[in-house]
Amino acid sequence: MVSKTGKPLRAPVRAMSPRVSSGTLHYWFRTKASDPTSLLALGLLVLFLYLIAGPIFLLLSDALRVHFPEQGRTGLPQGAFTSYYLERAMFSPISQAVFWRPLANTAQIAVGAIVVSLVVGAPLGWLLSRTNLPGKRWYSTALIVPYMLPSWTFALAWTTLFSNRTTGGTPSWMESFGFSPPDWLAYGQFPITMILALHYTPFVILLFGNALRQFDAQLEDAARIMGAGRLTIARKIVLPLMLPSLVSACTLIFAKALGDFGVAYILGVPINYNVLATSLFRAISTSQAGMTAVLAGTIVLFGVLSILIDMRLLREAGRFQTIGSKGAMDRTTDLGKWGVAASGWAMFVFIVSAAIPLMALALTTVMIRPGVFTPDNFTLAYWIGSDLGTTALRQGILLTPEFWRATWNSLWIVGSASLGAGFLGLLVGIAVVRAPMRSAGMMLRQITFLPYLVPGIAFAAAYLSMFAVPRGPLPALYGTYMILILAILADQMPFASRAGISAMMQLGKDPEEAARIVGAGWWKRLTAIVIPIQKGALVAGVMLPFISGIKGLSLVVVLAVPGTDLLTTYAIRLVDNGYTQASNAVVLMICLIAFFGTIGVQRLTKSKLSDGLGGK
Amino acid sequence: MPSIRLLHIEKSYSRSAPKAVEDLNLEIEDGDFLCLLGPSGCGKTTTLRMLAGLEDPTAGDIQIGDRMIVSVSGGICVPAEKRGLGLVFQSYALWPHMTVRENVEFGLKLHNMPRDERHAVADEVMSKLAIVQYADRYPNQLSGGQQQRVALARMLALKPDIILLDEPLSNLDAKLRLEMRAELKRIHREFGATIVFVTHDQWEAMTLASKIAVMSAGELQQLGTPDDIYQRPANRFVAEFVGSLPINVIALSGAEKATPLQAWMASVLVELGSPVNVECVGFRPEALKLSHCDAAASSQDLPDRLGTIIDILPTGGNWIIELSVDGEQIFAITGSAPDFASGDTIRLGLQARDLHLFDADGTRINDVQPVLTQV
Ligand SMILES: Nc1ncnc2c1ncn2[C@@H]1O[C@H](COP(=O)(O)OP(=O)(O)OP(=O)(O)O)[C@@H](O)[C@H]1O
Ligand SMILES: [Mg+2]
Repeated sequence: MVSKTGKPLRAPVRAMSPRVSSGTLHYWFRTKASDPTSLLALGLLVLFLYLIAGPIFLLLSDALRVHFPEQGRTGLPQGAFTSYYLERAMFSPISQAVFWRPLANTAQIAVGAIVVSLVVGAPLGWLLSRTNLPGKRWYSTALIVPYMLPSWTFALAWTTLFSNRTTGGTPSWMESFGFSPPDWLAYGQFPITMILALHYTPFVILLFGNALRQFDAQLEDAARIMGAGRLTIARKIVLPLMLPSLVSACTLIFAKALGDFGVAYILGVPINYNVLATSLFRAISTSQAGMTAVLAGTIVLFGVLSILIDMRLLREAGRFQTIGSKGAMDRTTDLGKWGVAASGWAMFVFIVSAAIPLMALALTTVMIRPGVFTPDNFTLAYWIGSDLGTTALRQGILLTPEFWRATWNSLWIVGSASLGAGFLGLLVGIAVVRAPMRSAGMMLRQITFLPYLVPGIAFAAAYLSMFAVPRGPLPALYGTYMILILAILADQMPFASRAGISAMMQLGKDPEEAARIVGAGWWKRLTAIVIPIQKGALVAGVMLPFISGIKGLSLVVVLAVPGTDLLTTYAIRLVDNGYTQASNAVVLMICLIAFFGTIGVQRLTKSKLSDGLGGK
Repeated sequence: MPSIRLLHIEKSYSRSAPKAVEDLNLEIEDGDFLCLLGPSGCGKTTTLRMLAGLEDPTAGDIQIGDRMIVSVSGGICVPAEKRGLGLVFQSYALWPHMTVRENVEFGLKLHNMPRDERHAVADEVMSKLAIVQYADRYPNQLSGGQQQRVALARMLALKPDIILLDEPLSNLDAKLRLEMRAELKRIHREFGATIVFVTHDQWEAMTLASKIAVMSAGELQQLGTPDDIYQRPANRFVAEFVGSLPINVIALSGAEKATPLQAWMASVLVELGSPVNVECVGFRPEALKLSHCDAAASSQDLPDRLGTIIDILPTGGNWIIELSVDGEQIFAITGSAPDFASGDTIRLGLQARDLHLFDADGTRINDVQPVLTQV
């Protein structure tokens, strides 16, 4: 019965014909469906439908459903379909203030930030990747500092330096120097654009620098041999091939600037300059569910669009496949006498984007009047003093119980959320890479990626609409720690699951199969083989969300209440109350945690921050 | 100890792709050292993995002894961890986070063997494989050959009745390969296990195996002893696949006018009694007997033919001789230095028992001997 030839083997006459029988079904169940990895995939799918897809869906549907307060005005029962909120946002008398102007402002800021960061960042990216810039190693960390720290830190520094009497409060350095900054310099579009630009410049440096580094020098050589001049090569060969990475950086900056809440809140709101994120924040804090949904939906829409554009460009870039081929190597341009000038420029960028803001923040915390450099103006009272003349905050920040409570909250809330995200990320990795049911894995991958398309503040709005009332097995969560943990966890899932998936992709099946062969069941393989091998990835998968969670503001600003303050929301509360020194002190602490945390993770995992960037 | 039976095993990875293994029937007897041999992508690894339980067949049954471990129609599939087979991966698949000792003891631990006993067993296996001195190292601190031994030790510690090996020697250099080959033979003897061994190196298969299963494109071509496979290839594929120098195959039809070799073979077949259906004739290079053209042919021999020596290539112990028969190229090989030179005209002789006859499907027709005796 051997096919065609060979020694025939006598197979026993089989009892069953090979058509689909109950046995075959049973077999399918045995081999596929009852695989614990399939169950894991299904379990995770349900979990994330509940924690990610559910809230986002509810939020978006809120835009089209009548809410309780508008029952009278629309003449429709609660929950009925309506376009009332859309019309109100776009065509009513208030639409200019709540929708169109914020939209225009957002667009202008985003575009401005992109242009400035490209102009500043692209040359730096080239200097750091393809030249012998003096101090290159140091710069490649120093210039990234602004990205490690929360963007609104720089907004605080800006107010510390440039605010004027328009909003009152503690005088700024400029005022102390006897100069009253004009409004355009102190608030609104210009400072917001500049701060976002400087914050995202590292993005361009990293993405563009990486692309240049992988660029195959042979392509340049080939052109040079054919007699092309340097400029021609740059214009005709390098630039077109680099274009995808530049455009990718642009779309990512656009997506991020769209959802950035803190900077506009600190520098725009005091003079009634709104962007979509702050307009959304106001809608949330005034409990306008319908308007919240419309604004959040708009942000999500633009976010999705920019990511889609980015993915498309990346796919197109992949078609070239010229970068990163075998001949790629580091070819450095000798800057010669320009080295000093270039180094000076890099130093200038570092000083403006990191040194001055941080110095200003730090110095302010030990000055009674900011910016006054007389010996009697210096004090440690804002850190460790008592009996300050202020009404609410009578001790230095280190003696204030609320500060420590917020610190503790930050650590344990963000800590548990990151632990959860890290482990779930690895489990998602296992499910996506190993589950025999491909489709479940695909869905899981996409659902956990969703929060990436939804800026923090809109995601927070989604969480409010989902968990402000009891849903599923959970009671109403608003005002609890739980909503913070879940929201931070879900918000970090794109990174956590990406880390988990790539870790599992790299692992290969062999170690697990070898364990199967010697008799290890599914659970044993998970605990004795997979998790120990993935220890490093797991640490990174926990630490990265932790750092980004610790410094994150826009998500938690909506969800935290005074009782559940985190460091970031506590700092914002201090800003709101005009305690400049105290808020700066808190922000410095956040910066310290973020900075050393990032450096620590890089050491620990021997990875570069740049590896964690990019739009996939 | 058990024998292994694969019945009508079929595996397709996806509906669109061709089947990786098709209607495979194979019986491996107790104590066999079976080699799965075939070109790359023919389904050897897939077959082995189905045996181990790492891949699920899409049809068919697998029996070990009288235990049914897979039956697609019967809804049976014993998971890999319950089959109790030993498997060594081509990549070794050592656990990077465990020392050599922990690697070796892991399986024993799973079987709840007490600590001391575990140690003793591990020590014994490790010393047998001469890796005891590396017990506390991690896999990444070992050379490829040492890792290979650890992989073997890890598998042997559990004393499996059936050992599966997927190209375990392919990552080793020539010398280590020779050593490990001896090692495997010793293991086969000492442990008395049934071994299924995958390789695409026919020399390895010939020297190690007690039986060889030749596969091609997901189908079994022949199962037999190394001798069978070499001397009595079941079809043209096996004949051409096995042998360090390719077999000479002469198709009888095709050209409009018979070429010199075709003409020669036609006369040979007439001598054999003109068996029907013969589509092509093959003979191995060493079957060609070369003699000076003035020497007389022995009476046993088939009709001979004159040829010209084009080139003689010494390969260290053997001499490959490139010949031309009126412009057509064939090869011969001799084990002793030939006393001809390039350009010499010599007599090419063949014996009936060295001929392999294949029909239009490439299937071996019969043994030539009986035909000859009929004459
Ligand atoms: N996981 C898989 N998914 C899809 N197709 C596969 C998979 N594994 C193997 N195949 C296909 O099945 C066929 C047989 O593969 P297999 O690995 O068994 O070959 P092999 O005989 O071991 O080859 P080699 O000597 O190269 O190791 C090949 O065509 C291969 O492409
Ligand atoms: Mg293989």
